[in-house]
Amino acid sequence: MRTLPLLAAVTALVLVTAGCTSSPDPTGAPDDDATVTVGLVLEPTDLDIRRTAGIALDQVLIDNVYQGLVGRTQDNEIVDVLASSHEVSDDGLTYTFTLAEGVTFHDGAALTAEDVVWSLQQVADDDSLANHGDLAAVDAVTAPDESTVVITLSRPDSALLFSLTGRAGLVLEQQADNDLSTTANGTGPFTLEGWTQGDNLRLSRNDDYWGTPAAVGGVVFRYIPDPSARINASLSGDIDVQTAVDATLRSQLDGVDGLTVSEGRTTDKYTLAFNNAVEPFTDPRVRKAIRLAVDNDALIAATGGSAVDQGGPIPELDPGYRDLTDVDAYDPDAARALLEESGQGDLDLTLEYANVYPAAIGDVLTTQLKAVGITLTVEQVDFSTWLSDVFVAPSDGSPRDFQLSMVNHAETHDFGNWADPDYYFGYDSPAVQGLYAESLAATDPADADEALAEAAAIVADDAPAEWLYTTTTLTAIRDGITGFPTSSTTTRLDLSSLAATE
Amino acid sequence: MIRFTAGRLVLFAVGLLVASALIFATLRLLPGDVAQVIAGTTGSPAQVAALRAELGLDRPFLAQYLDWVGGLLRLDLGRSLVTGTPVADEIADKLAVTLPLAGLSLAVGLVVGVPLGVLAALRRRRPLGTAASIGGQILAAVPAVWAGMLLIALFAVTLGWLPTQGFPLDGWSDPAAALRALVLPAVTIGLVEGAVLLRFTRSAALGALDADYVRAAAAKGMTRDRALVRHGLPNVMLSVVSVLGIQAAGLVVGAVLVEQLFSLPGVGRMLVADVGRRDLTKVQGELMTLTAIVLAVGFVVDVVHRAVDPRARERGE
Repeated sequence: MRTLPLLAAVTALVLVTAGCTSSPDPTGAPDDDATVTVGLVLEPTDLDIRRTAGIALDQVLIDNVYQGLVGRTQDNEIVDVLASSHEVSDDGLTYTFTLAEGVTFHDGAALTAEDVVWSLQQVADDDSLANHGDLAAVDAVTAPDESTVVITLSRPDSALLFSLTGRAGLVLEQQADNDLSTTANGTGPFTLEGWTQGDNLRLSRNDDYWGTPAAVGGVVFRYIPDPSARINASLSGDIDVQTAVDATLRSQLDGVDGLTVSEGRTTDKYTLAFNNAVEPFTDPRVRKAIRLAVDNDALIAATGGSAVDQGGPIPELDPGYRDLTDVDAYDPDAARALLEESGQGDLDLTLEYANVYPAAIGDVLTTQLKAVGITLTVEQVDFSTWLSDVFVAPSDGSPRDFQLSMVNHAETHDFGNWADPDYYFGYDSPAVQGLYAESLAATDPADADEALAEAAAIVADDAPAEWLYTTTTLTAIRDGITGFPTSSTTTRLDLSSLAATE
Repeated sequence: MIRFTAGRLVLFAVGLLVASALIFATLRLLPGDVAQVIAGTTGSPAQVAALRAELGLDRPFLAQYLDWVGGLLRLDLGRSLVTGTPVADEIADKLAVTLPLAGLSLAVGLVVGVPLGVLAALRRRRPLGTAASIGGQILAAVPAVWAGMLLIALFAVTLGWLPTQGFPLDGWSDPAAALRALVLPAVTIGLVEGAVLLRFTRSAALGALDADYVRAAAAKGMTRDRALVRHGLPNVMLSVVSVLGIQAAGLVVGAVLVEQLFSLPGVGRMLVADVGRRDLTKVQGELMTLTAIVLAVGFVVDVVHRAVDPRARERGE
């Protein structure tokens, strides 16, 4: 009886609204006008690429709508984009870019060297713009002729080229006066068709693209925060691609006809950070004890098994990576002994992290730390609260008021945070800062890599945090969709080679 | 009647004013602010301070409140602190999903609740009636989110009759597609609401069965069922109408949950996202709009109830 009204109500409404949605069988022929629907997790706050922080914005707009002189592949290799070639002088102070020919903005205007100079200069000069700090070493940006742009540095900066693949290097049109918050005028293979805040963002093929035009008519990004809703959307065919599949729900998609789940590498570093500036974390024995107490493999298994142990501050895709998983590897007996020795046999600690991350992490950590005598209280808060509780430094200069925090530091090439004593880690190591400066000043990438690796080893040994794992990201793709990136999808989704069959 | 309506209007206005103060004050208790959210983890303190000044967040609370209420009086809800778009436009956009959803949910609730409630009363102490009441009790206890997940699993994933989530990109330009997207969400809310209505209708109908006029009609030769339907139902419906005002608030709460579950671009989902972003101007606008709708429904129900119930008219001043 209790299912009767349910059945009756649904059936009635289905009958009323039935019809009109049957898709023809796939023919396998390429469909140039296909619209590919992609399910994503986090929506950008706003579209202003110059002012609004957050990788959710980079993810959809960079490469597809906005482009820079150089870009990066999904494996973090630097490639030329708006520059047809680039050259770095031996002293590492002069970067010369030759511009690609025939580049136009979406409003039809041709790209000029002045646009490039203006774009870079703006970010370098205005400290209220996003990623202003990336161009700190830039002394001057000039255009000696119509197809050449020269960046002169005041000191070598081995990170500059990579920074230029991000926000700091994007080229916008100087003359355009569109509202960056809701519209976009870039040079990329897709134009921004529209953004329905709270639901979707739509791109269409830029038919006047200066390079090879996209092989699909458009892309719809649907923002579906709920993991099971995303799974259902994939199962029912409402979306063609789903990035960042919740690993614990993967089994629902495995073996489903017409769907393939691919694994890809990321720089998503789930980091359990200690507030190194306050007691009891000023005692290295306490920090090491927590690192020893965490069983990364068990944690990875509990969160779906789609991750790799990280061991140190640098993930595999970034320069300076070495396998540091042996440093303070899981050893609860050693952890208890260290806590005993430090006189902190019975610790009460609080972990505060944003509710966008799985609750399972807090649960597992509570159990694991309990085993060595640490009582962990977990507080999950919304992201804005986390920002003010943990991330932002008190204006009176006192140390931040938190003990443990957990964040997915998804950005790539972000080792600099460990060399910044003002960052929320509160980690201040002159040796690490010196090595990091050395890596930036290096003119040979191999030297930079070596300096970073050395610095990373010191950080791992100092134990200012426990690196829980690097995510292996899962992408569920409907058969017939090709060219969809499967690595580093949290930070970038270059869809220029996306294609679909009918 | 005019005095009564005027009195209710004053109550409506006072309610809105009190709500505006409560909404404004409560939101200031939230930690964090929109400037920090915009600047994110890469912005410098200087950038945050500049944004704060630009958005007027550094002004005294009272000045901010008076500005906002002043705007409300001119029906101006202000602009989003994040995107700068007019709040009223955004809300109007999302109401195009939430209002039909609420209407459809109410319809489902009425269709499920009222006939089954009457049935439960007429066939009480018999299997059919008992089953209806027990079913109602169970449904009323089921969390909407869980009911929704079961419905999705059955009708969208297994049977594939309806979309699992989402709303057509072009909105209502294809009404059939839009309606299909609202069926499962509306049934989810409507079943829970309907269960409440069922219990309410049942007790109202039981009351009517014992009433003198039903007994009188039965004495004149009508069957009890016919007597209830002919003479009892108008009285039962009166009670149902008066409880609908309270149910309106339930619909709003249901919409917030169900829009999340079904990824519908409605006011509820926007509200949750805007609280997360600390876009307080928008949150205030959204809460005021929802409050106004609930209060307005209550106002209309009060007036209608009085207009159709002769007893209330006579008793009144």
